[in-house]
Amino acid sequence: MQQLRYTPFHERTSALCQPQNWRKWAGYFVVGSYEHTIDREYWAIRNAAGLIDVTPLMKYMLKGKDAANLLHRVTTRDIQKMSVGQVYYTGWCDDEGKMIDDGTVARLDETTFRLTAAEPNLRWLMMNAVGLDVEISEVSDSVASLSLQGPNSRVILNRVCESNLDGLKYFRLMKNKLDGVEVAISRTGYTGDLGYEIWMDAKDAIKVWDALMEAGQDYGITPVGILALDMARVEAGLFMLDVDYTSSGHAWIESQKSSPFELGLDWTVALDKPGYFVGRKALEKDAEVMRREGSSWKLVGIEIDWVGMEELYAEVGLPPQIPGTAIRASMPIMVGNVQVGYASTASWSPLLKKYIALAHLQKPYYELGTDVRMEITVEHQHKHAPAKVVKLPFYDPEWKKK
Amino acid sequence: MVAAAYLAKQGKKVLVLERRDIVGGQVVTESFGDGFTVDSLHAGGTLRPDIIKHLNLASHGLVVDSVRKPFISLQADSNHLIFDANPAKAVESIKRFSEKDAANWIPFLDFMKKATQFIETANSTIMPRLPKGFNLSEGMALAELGLDLRMMGGKDMMRIIRGIPMTADEFVDEWFESDVVKAAIASLGIHGLTLGVYGAGTGYTLMHTWANRGGMSHISVQGGIGKITEALASAVKSFGGEIRLNAEVKSIQVDTYTCKGVVLFNGEEIAAKNIISAADPKHTFLSLVGAMELPPEFVWNVQSIKMRGSVAKVHLLTDGKHGIPDGTVALAPSIKYLEQAYDAAKYHSISEKPYLEVTTSASESVHPLKSVVSIHFQFAAFKLKNGDWKTEGAKVENIAIDTLAEYFPNLKSSIVNRKVITPLDLEQTYSLTEGDLNHGQIMLDQFMFMRPIPGWSNHKTPIDNLYLCGSGVHGGGGVSGASGRNVVRVLK
Repeated sequence: MQQLRYTPFHERTSALCQPQNWRKWAGYFVVGSYEHTIDREYWAIRNAAGLIDVTPLMKYMLKGKDAANLLHRVTTRDIQKMSVGQVYYTGWCDDEGKMIDDGTVARLDETTFRLTAAEPNLRWLMMNAVGLDVEISEVSDSVASLSLQGPNSRVILNRVCESNLDGLKYFRLMKNKLDGVEVAISRTGYTGDLGYEIWMDAKDAIKVWDALMEAGQDYGITPVGILALDMARVEAGLFMLDVDYTSSGHAWIESQKSSPFELGLDWTVALDKPGYFVGRKALEKDAEVMRREGSSWKLVGIEIDWVGMEELYAEVGLPPQIPGTAIRASMPIMVGNVQVGYASTASWSPLLKKYIALAHLQKPYYELGTDVRMEITVEHQHKHAPAKVVKLPFYDPEWKKK
Repeated sequence: MVAAAYLAKQGKKVLVLERRDIVGGQVVTESFGDGFTVDSLHAGGTLRPDIIKHLNLASHGLVVDSVRKPFISLQADSNHLIFDANPAKAVESIKRFSEKDAANWIPFLDFMKKATQFIETANSTIMPRLPKGFNLSEGMALAELGLDLRMMGGKDMMRIIRGIPMTADEFVDEWFESDVVKAAIASLGIHGLTLGVYGAGTGYTLMHTWANRGGMSHISVQGGIGKITEALASAVKSFGGEIRLNAEVKSIQVDTYTCKGVVLFNGEEIAAKNIISAADPKHTFLSLVGAMELPPEFVWNVQSIKMRGSVAKVHLLTDGKHGIPDGTVALAPSIKYLEQAYDAAKYHSISEKPYLEVTTSASESVHPLKSVVSIHFQFAAFKLKNGDWKTEGAKVENIAIDTLAEYFPNLKSSIVNRKVITPLDLEQTYSLTEGDLNHGQIMLDQFMFMRPIPGWSNHKTPIDNLYLCGSGVHGGGGVSGASGRNVVRVLK
């Protein structure tokens, strides 16, 4: 029997979770929300600091002379250019150039890397390591991770860490001691805000949680569940595997697969790196088509027009109804009477006071400023609310990278 | 060598790199001592007649025996079953075991002729890359193959198709009743393979071996089987090609899925526009190209190619008084005997009661009176559960000699010199991964459009300008030259 498992923080998170709002994430129970509404958690991310248990991330350690070669082969980034202490965001593809998964790679030292993924990738890594001198181990269980996100995150960490974090740049990683516990801290996250992810041995999890909660008490530190995180990541324009795209590994049909270009990951595909990497031939072809005639699909942001929505609700005598959490559903997007794409996640943005969505649109409708309409249900009836294609991310505070 | 000769004939600049000091790979005649000259691995072989003709190999000294020697199945009472090339004579011998089987022999020969014709046509057809779909020319070739099969008439067509997945036992069982007759014929289905006569697909391999030999017995080559590759080498040179000996390739150089050339073990780099590898696919891709240059699914497929060699060879130099008759002499007394011989391979050991195929030859050059006895020994697993091939060679040698001496009491006293070639020698000396003579077992999941791997059955590889020929690709398995002839057709 394979039961859902508890993360190493469960003792703390379960004591705080008032509504018993639990979610499944990669075989673990995680908190959906700690309170009956998620507003306070959301605003903690944007105004103070949210503490999120992200242990269920799949984590792999790659160690050995050829660790960089393996990542060079598997991912689309130029790993050879990566310095120790640097973190790359990357996707990886099958040999047809279709996305399998995405995550971050951290270079811990010359020959050691940590890769995170949304789904199990051990077999894929092993398959690609034939003939290479690299030891691949899954550390999803043994390494616990916390994400501390929000404008106060740095000051809280500085209070409790041995080394100051002021010099730690965006997408960099440092070793540190947090209340005496050895941790690695990367300036990364899934909120588009100032934020850090803290990586520790699972046995130290409670100690680190307690130290952070204590140090952050005066700075509004708030345990945050993944529902509020989901809203924040939409504002940040960050997509999610199995919600906003389908892994080529379990797509039923070709059209469910996505190339990195279609997801707007052009900047992560290093076609100038030397030699073969998985998917290269197909991606070169895609890039060529893109240059010539543009991508056939693109992931973009859309803003649904509030006034337009108000009118649709007014027809039935209601004010606009907005969901309290991000909606993970496919919502058709129209131009005239023709469907030109679909939104895969939509959310009310409390900060921007806008209804926003991540949408997949066909050429040429993904151009900025294009007027489209998104399907919504008003009192059990299909309606189409006016919307506009906008730039991603929706929210990009200056302190994210500062 | 066949591909090289064809390309040189077309006027291409051809360089053949041979790792040993003798050309030919498995098709060599070598000397292991004074007067001890043997056909090292294969007792006979027949290049496809069209190849001999196209390359004019007769003018390069290739003389194929026109008379087929008999296939003799040894019996304990010395009342051996003799399949003579003359069908009438064979019928007489079969009669001693079964009147009914004797009556079926000539119809069976007719059927096998059609099966041979089908396999010949299949081996001349470049297999499309299923399931990727195929282009018009591939489709046409496939349609011709289908037509060929259809022209045989409905009954024989069905029988050939049914025969492919059958076991060799079932295959012969439909024609014959005598266990002796059945076993002798069924032995062709497991010859050179790690399969038993109760193994699915040995119906196909029976037809395959029959087609390669053109019948049950080997056709020997005057002066040794090495004359085939010597003639080919001579043809290559006459067309302006170059052959280099002692030039083992260390790696195939690849720059982003395009091959650029090779590096030899002596460090020399040789640039080439096209490279054709006749090494087995596993060695070619995992050692010479390297997994790093290849797509992961492809690497996984190559890793999964079943090699599983279990053949050993024992060569004996004798004073000529061994008493073994001329021909292809098989120790395959019963269906059960063959299956039990295979069991040893299944459990990673050496058969105590092996299936043997023996040929004899006069060693003309030095000692006219001496004669070589060459024993093809099955089964001797490449991967041994107990023991090591560095020491187990002697065991194979002794079992082979003891077993054969039961039928030929004078054998032991006639032996002057001996040489055993173990599965490990096959890998180390002849560069056959896991000692597999076929560069990958011929099984239902590794034949036709699945050879060497599904999706890559047309000699091409994920590396541009790198092509495959040899036993490991379709047309291969056996000394026929078919895959070498075919690869030339897909070369850009």
